[in-house]
Amino acid sequence: MKKLVALLLVLLLAASGLTAFAEGDKINVVFWYSLGGTNADVIKEMVGEFNASQDKIFVDAQYQGEYDDAINKLKATSMGEALPFDIVQSYEIGSRFIIDSKKMVPVQTYIDKTGFDTSVIEPNLLAYYTIDGIINSVPFNCSTPLMYYNKTLFDEAGITEVPTTVDGILEIAPKLATFNADGTLDRAGFTFSNYGWFFEQWTGKMGRQYVNNGNGRESYATAVAFDENGAALDLFNMWKKISESKYTTYMERGGTGQSRAAFVAGKTAIFLASTANLAGVLANVGDSFEVGTAYFPYVNADDKGGVSTGGGTLWMVDSGDEARMDASWEFIQYMINPENQAVWNARTGYFPINMKAHDTEVFKENITKFPQFQTALDQLHDSGPEYVGSLLSVFPEVRQYVEDVTEEVFLKGLSPEEAVTKLTNLANDAIEMYNLTNY
Amino acid sequence: MSGITLTRKHKNALSSLLRMGLNLPLVILIILPLIYTFIMSVIPADELYTRLLPTRWDFVSYLNVFEKTGIPRQILNSFVVAGSVTLLQMITCSMAAFAFSFLQFKGRNLVFMIILATMMVPWEATIISNYLTVSGWGWLDSYKAMILPYACSAMGIFLMRQNYLTFARELHEAAKLDGCNNWRFLLSIVIPLARPALGALGAYVFLLQWNQYLWPLLVTNSDKVRTAQIGISQLYDIDSEQIGLMMAGVVVVLVPSLSIFVFMQKQLINGLMAGAVKG
Repeated sequence: MKKLVALLLVLLLAASGLTAFAEGDKINVVFWYSLGGTNADVIKEMVGEFNASQDKIFVDAQYQGEYDDAINKLKATSMGEALPFDIVQSYEIGSRFIIDSKKMVPVQTYIDKTGFDTSVIEPNLLAYYTIDGIINSVPFNCSTPLMYYNKTLFDEAGITEVPTTVDGILEIAPKLATFNADGTLDRAGFTFSNYGWFFEQWTGKMGRQYVNNGNGRESYATAVAFDENGAALDLFNMWKKISESKYTTYMERGGTGQSRAAFVAGKTAIFLASTANLAGVLANVGDSFEVGTAYFPYVNADDKGGVSTGGGTLWMVDSGDEARMDASWEFIQYMINPENQAVWNARTGYFPINMKAHDTEVFKENITKFPQFQTALDQLHDSGPEYVGSLLSVFPEVRQYVEDVTEEVFLKGLSPEEAVTKLTNLANDAIEMYNLTNY
Repeated sequence: MSGITLTRKHKNALSSLLRMGLNLPLVILIILPLIYTFIMSVIPADELYTRLLPTRWDFVSYLNVFEKTGIPRQILNSFVVAGSVTLLQMITCSMAAFAFSFLQFKGRNLVFMIILATMMVPWEATIISNYLTVSGWGWLDSYKAMILPYACSAMGIFLMRQNYLTFARELHEAAKLDGCNNWRFLLSIVIPLARPALGALGAYVFLLQWNQYLWPLLVTNSDKVRTAQIGISQLYDIDSEQIGLMMAGVVVVLVPSLSIFVFMQKQLINGLMAGAVKG
């Protein structure tokens, strides 16, 4: 027993001895990020280089779990006195929530203060984070959806024209699919991932709005718009068409990892995923076949919309401490300078948000190595700021509902009309509940 | 006269065969994900999606876990946190249970009921207020924020009390007659007798703490005090998967909790039995 108590005391002493470290008399800036895997390595390296490049500011980069975890942590900490960080990376659909938390300072303030030239930033990416005419946060790790196809299989099947619509994909799927002896699908022509992000992207591709009040941009949204403008019905009808085709597979919900695995293994000819997957897909495929990329497909042939950005953005906390806020802005400027954005693009597959990065050697080398990335850039430039995408406080929840209902359409045969009603009710209830408690 | 007579030996052999036949598929079912995890961690990247078994073994992911990630330090942190919580709970719970089973005082049952009632409140419901308390004390980003809120548990008190109740009350009375005070009685008679239950409690608490995710994530910020479960999630990214590294990390973090099971198996089962006799 005595030994136990002694051991315990030792452990506790050791614990109290380890306190957070501060770097001399430098200004300490705490940066919360949410990327894992190799992307996190790149962030850490960039932060390390920043710290080594000057001797006034020390940036402490801290991982805070996935975006959802970080948002939860932000919710918890924002009830306390001061936020324990200066910069936070969050996903695009967290924007309205973060604005509502009233703890951030719009970066516009610092853009004006330092005369930062925003014309170098990709306008279609910047547009998402421009709310009420001011730039709230800086786009950082940005991606759009893209269609990946097995070019070798396309050539073998004699397909020369890459489809631009989902109907077009379904038309060529029979030429690409193969069957086992027992009649089951061996290789699918097209794999559908149930990912709520695609619902948002396709609504934009049809040039329609997701929520009311100007897509949640003129003022906060009070209801979804995809029921009245028919976007949801069109999409659920399309889901039904895909599920009825015997040349396609329904893979998963909440992501695209399994479709990607199937594509790499040659078990599907076409799949949809974020542009940020490109480097990984090419590395996994190796020499086994040629990978082609194309624009994210349209729902209807006469659609005129575009894609909007997904991914993350950097927010600055209104800490009231001028020195720390200046230092934070200094660091953000460093992260989006042309050289760093070229490296960021080459190593992660996210867009270089700074267009001057296109002139760097790193970028030129990368685009020669992965010409497929040009498709992603062209698609981004062909889209207009008017299809910038919506803002919604309860976006993460609604995304879940979209995936729930999609699952029912695919697996339980829920009719498209019923699906629209169900989704609309679920989403509007969540919006109403949030608005009642927050505005 | 019957045609075939089964000797006792035969019967035993048959029943153990039957047991094997029932258990083996279950064992395979349970262990398969673990084996698959291990295979995924050693399969070369270009065979990851195309082959079930690797043509060659590639341990580079393990090297990377130890050299490029914070996992080694985080495992140490996990040990400090889970180990301290386990020790603290063994001490506090055995003492509290002693009071609730051997001592007579006014309101004993009421207090015990109140403590049990706290088991009905889900931890998630109080997480924000707990966070505010801990941050108000300036405990953020320290071991104590992860350890002290778990220093005692209603579940542990309950488990130990049920165990103590199986001991004869005469033990306590006889000890008192011989002039043994409560402390000595607890330390030299009750604790040795309750060892199986205490061991079970220890193993249970350790595993529970080892697998904690949300609370440690909430109260810590720097890699210096972060635990292994957060380290695991740090290996994951939706847009840049490194399956090999992730799986290697999972295997490395699994080893301590699995070994707890292997070494403490007897204690765990004893503990379950102890509760079962007089539950």
